[in-house]
Amino acid sequence: MRVSTEGGRVRLWALLAALVLVFAATVAACGGDDDDDDGEATPTTDTGGETDGEATGEPIKIGIFSNNEGAFAPFEGQTWGGAMLPLINRGASPASGDPTDGVENATIAGHPIEIVYGGSDSTPDKAVEEARRLVEQEGVDILVGPLSGSEGIAVANYSKEQPGVTFVNGISGAQDTTLKVRSPNFFRFHNDGTQWTAGLGDYAYNELGWRNVVTIGDDYDFPYSQIAGFVAEFCSIGGNVTQRLWPPLGEEDYSSYITQIPEDVDGFFMGVGGTGTVAFVKQYGQLRGNLADRIMGGIFMTDPVILEELGDQVVGVVTAGMTAGDSQEPAYIEYTEQIAESYPELEGTGSSVFFYGYYTAMEAIAQALEQVEGDLSDEHAAFRDALSNLELDAPLGTIKLDENRQAIMDNFLQQIVEDQTGDGVPDVKTLETIAEVDQTFAGAFSPDTPSPDRTNPPCEEGTPPPWTEQGGGS
Amino acid sequence: MSGQAATAAEPAWRSRVASIPAGALVLRAAVAFVLLFVAAWVAYKAYGDPRTFVIVGLNGLTLAGLYFVVASGFTLIFGLMRVVNMAHGSLYMLAGFFALELQTTLTGGETTSAFGSSEAGLGDWIIPLVVASLAIGLIGLVMQQLFLRWNQGQELRQALITIAIGIIIADQTLAHFGGIAESLAPPDVFPESVDLPFSDLVYPFFRIFVLLVAIAIGLSLWAMIQRTRFGMIVRAGVDDRQMVSALGINIQLVFASAFFLGAVLAGVGGVLGGTMISVDKANDTQYLLISLIVVIIGGMGSLAGAAIGALALGLVDSFGDVYLPQGYTNYSILLIFGLLVLVLAIRPLGLFGRPA
Amino acid sequence: MSRPALTVERALWWGPGLALLLILVFAPLLFTDFYLSQVLTKALWLGIAAASLIFLAAYVGMVSLGQVALYGVAGFTMANLVAAEGGAETAWNPWAATLMGILAAVAVGLFFGAIASRSYGIYFLMITLAIAVLTYYFFAQVTELSGFGGVNSVARPGIVSNPVSDPQNLFYIALLASAAVYVFVRYLARTPFGLALQGVRDDPSRMRALGYNVPLLRMFAFGLGALIASFAGILSVWWNTRISPGSIDLARTIDVLVIAVIGGLYRLEGAWVGAVVFVALENWTRGVDLVGQRFNTVIGVIFLAIVLLSPGGLMGIWQSITDFFGRQLSRKPPARPSPGPADEARPASDSPQPS
Repeated sequence: MRVSTEGGRVRLWALLAALVLVFAATVAACGGDDDDDDGEATPTTDTGGETDGEATGEPIKIGIFSNNEGAFAPFEGQTWGGAMLPLINRGASPASGDPTDGVENATIAGHPIEIVYGGSDSTPDKAVEEARRLVEQEGVDILVGPLSGSEGIAVANYSKEQPGVTFVNGISGAQDTTLKVRSPNFFRFHNDGTQWTAGLGDYAYNELGWRNVVTIGDDYDFPYSQIAGFVAEFCSIGGNVTQRLWPPLGEEDYSSYITQIPEDVDGFFMGVGGTGTVAFVKQYGQLRGNLADRIMGGIFMTDPVILEELGDQVVGVVTAGMTAGDSQEPAYIEYTEQIAESYPELEGTGSSVFFYGYYTAMEAIAQALEQVEGDLSDEHAAFRDALSNLELDAPLGTIKLDENRQAIMDNFLQQIVEDQTGDGVPDVKTLETIAEVDQTFAGAFSPDTPSPDRTNPPCEEGTPPPWTEQGGGS
Repeated sequence: MSGQAATAAEPAWRSRVASIPAGALVLRAAVAFVLLFVAAWVAYKAYGDPRTFVIVGLNGLTLAGLYFVVASGFTLIFGLMRVVNMAHGSLYMLAGFFALELQTTLTGGETTSAFGSSEAGLGDWIIPLVVASLAIGLIGLVMQQLFLRWNQGQELRQALITIAIGIIIADQTLAHFGGIAESLAPPDVFPESVDLPFSDLVYPFFRIFVLLVAIAIGLSLWAMIQRTRFGMIVRAGVDDRQMVSALGINIQLVFASAFFLGAVLAGVGGVLGGTMISVDKANDTQYLLISLIVVIIGGMGSLAGAAIGALALGLVDSFGDVYLPQGYTNYSILLIFGLLVLVLAIRPLGLFGRPA
Repeated sequence: MSRPALTVERALWWGPGLALLLILVFAPLLFTDFYLSQVLTKALWLGIAAASLIFLAAYVGMVSLGQVALYGVAGFTMANLVAAEGGAETAWNPWAATLMGILAAVAVGLFFGAIASRSYGIYFLMITLAIAVLTYYFFAQVTELSGFGGVNSVARPGIVSNPVSDPQNLFYIALLASAAVYVFVRYLARTPFGLALQGVRDDPSRMRALGYNVPLLRMFAFGLGALIASFAGILSVWWNTRISPGSIDLARTIDVLVIAVIGGLYRLEGAWVGAVVFVALENWTRGVDLVGQRFNTVIGVIFLAIVLLSPGGLMGIWQSITDFFGRQLSRKPPARPSPGPADEARPASDSPQPS
């Protein structure tokens, strides 16, 4: 092997390596110079992108940005499938069996659509970097994304700096993204994480008879939002949240937290996100036994991929979310058939929130563009108007936007039941549809209330949301 | 600490104390005070709720077992070859993912469900354990032979090399194995939980198993180092590398074996941790940090140090999460930091460390 | 050496640097806004972070992996004190907050330095790494200060303006800061304090015998390193308009190390050279489909190659080239020994010469 002193041959190697590196650096430098891939430098405050939107037939650039690294990377295919489906339904053809390869011949309202790929790793830093690259270097007109809760808040803040670009959320679910940030060019066509828990507090109090609950969730935005929803609802009708546990994000060893949960508590609400769900459920089973009769889950428990991993251990758990995999509505059946046809590998994932969120985003964009015939002039004024007033007939119900450009849509109360389809995986049965859930939970949340965090909202009685028994619902 | 009086005039301990400079004395007093306070706090909490104390204590011990297995490999490599194997965490992670892949294949391609009735037979767990550990050991060996053998003594350079390799391994693992956390299924012959004697508490069996394995590994390593010829060479090498080589012993073979062993231990740790907790892409950072802290506390190249360090870290980690006042539990990381500061204040080379 | 050869060698050594400086001064006219902001400004502040590492490595013999954590302390302190989304609810004047951020980082740096001051070499590296990762976990878990979502829309002083729409202001500020750091370190090297530090680097026991308080010196040096790093931290928050724990995770720590090594661990100029190469490469590979998200593998391979083949980094290679030409011109055998392997105790021949 090589000797450790620098001989002449090593010098030569070094020189070669240096030349290669310098060459690479120069190439990179030139690559970023005035000759960008897409022609001119993108002015950052003018009408964004290259199309001034006047002439029909001008290409429209849409950036799709999801997670290709990190805990949610396995869902990237689903997000892209959702984003591409509305285009496929309008005549585009998938470039391959992999949704992330995009589509060809996509047009909306006569305008060719160019799809640009983006990906981050669920951290806000990377998300903003990627958003900047897509907007400032690639010059997209519309950006669809991001995926994770904290990314959404960061990107929504960034959108305020780019009034010439329209941002439509992918599936990031933190409440603040629309309720607090309120960027005029950021739209979210699905419920936020708080809205996804609508109905659970009611069920816990009135159906299960719970009065004392402990919550346990990962220590970051998305679980804050989820648990905030449950707390607001449950407490407003008289329930009591005795303890809120917040294991740090990345904590895999929940055993110490599990032991802190008193034995005499009626039940508890689990807001542990994706990767922790597996670890938590397993460890709980080992330390305390069966979960089903004392636990309520957040959104992740119904994702098909998680159900496969969790198995029988969670049969009986009640949860809620914005999709219902067992819906028998014709629109939904048609939608699942479209998926099976366009992306056979994604068959059965139509009810995944990752798929659905990106789907509604792209569908809304498509419909709004069709309404204004692709007119993106004047900083997308007409287009954004169309988006704001759109009543989207989505496969699982109608979606409207409130004054903060946040969706109002139905939520579904669900229960995990034993496998009925014969594929070995437990299924999800819809118990009830909660109609037209809005972000404020009957005033519990507003731009002036503190953001959901470890202690907010406080557990106090208040105006019960309209869908609860006490509030006038069923 | 009274010994025999050296002179009739002054007891030994007094002259010992007098010989310590004032600053160090204050420091040691402060450390002693902190330790007493912590002991009192824990005792108070334990008295109030003995059940939680037992469970959390067991959590700490079993975690310590896992940490020891991982850190023992790290300290072995460090102590003998002065190589900080920054790729240790990445090796741990790779072992977990690799074993998971194997187990999935062995159990017929179904996603393993690690609950209740596990679908994994004894072989379905042992085989991935053995194969993954050996594979990781092999990777470690190759890494050592290709990149580390020829630049002995250039510690910084070697550390940089292992960092680079660690980055590459971690990135490639991510590329091939995706991001969602899963866990390995323990063998179905293992019970899910066991009843603890003298109480009505139950505790996960696998964690106890890990602790037992850690103790077994610790004893075997100790026996090897103290009783075998190989171990004797390792000990000599830790003390004086050049002399060992000058005595005509094939030091390169010893290094290679030691590195192989160290990597195998990382692999075993990865499979154990992957079953006990989960296999996750954040593992490389986590377990590198754990290895570092254990070795910093325990001292370079010391097995006993690794045991003590692992114990300290595991216990602080577990008790910190639970015993801090409500509302401050997210400051538990500061306890670990405090532990580090405490040890370094009185022993910059670790509890059992010796200068190079 | 003959006079012409010396002049040529000096010209070769300094020429490209001056040319680059000229390019940078006129950069806003030569490059797109995006490139100016995303590549050049980023390279400048990352370069400052790497410079803090190189300062400690080259002049004090302390290779520290804690610089990113320290700049995180500065950044988080500043971000929390001013008006922002997330973090503490205070709304200080941005300049006051900047000052506090720098002070906080220096204080923490002195503290970390005190802890690690009696450790050397690889042991020191390990301790600083452990401390850095612990700092990351601290900011990740103490959500009152940041949490996973980070602190967004951080208020800036007026002069910084909007880094998205008006990147030139921040670019020039970063350029000035980089120049200031460079000049300061070179100047410091010749002061008695700087010389004492270099003595500590070369032979701590001898310094102790001469009566210097070596741990104290090292602690102060670490505090100085923290000061430099804090500039990088403040700039990074202004550049990003936000800061989150992800900004200072292990990956970022390693990035700065990689930059320093690629540039040349014992040459101050290497900090910015490495930073430009790193950022440009990162920017370029993102667009290349084949590489895509595997940027880490690419950088890992390059890093490995540099460490194996030319531990002096790019600046080391440059030194070899200029030496080579210098020798050709003077036609004499090499006057000084070739730069040795990158051991932390032996950069003596590579330490910057007064020139």
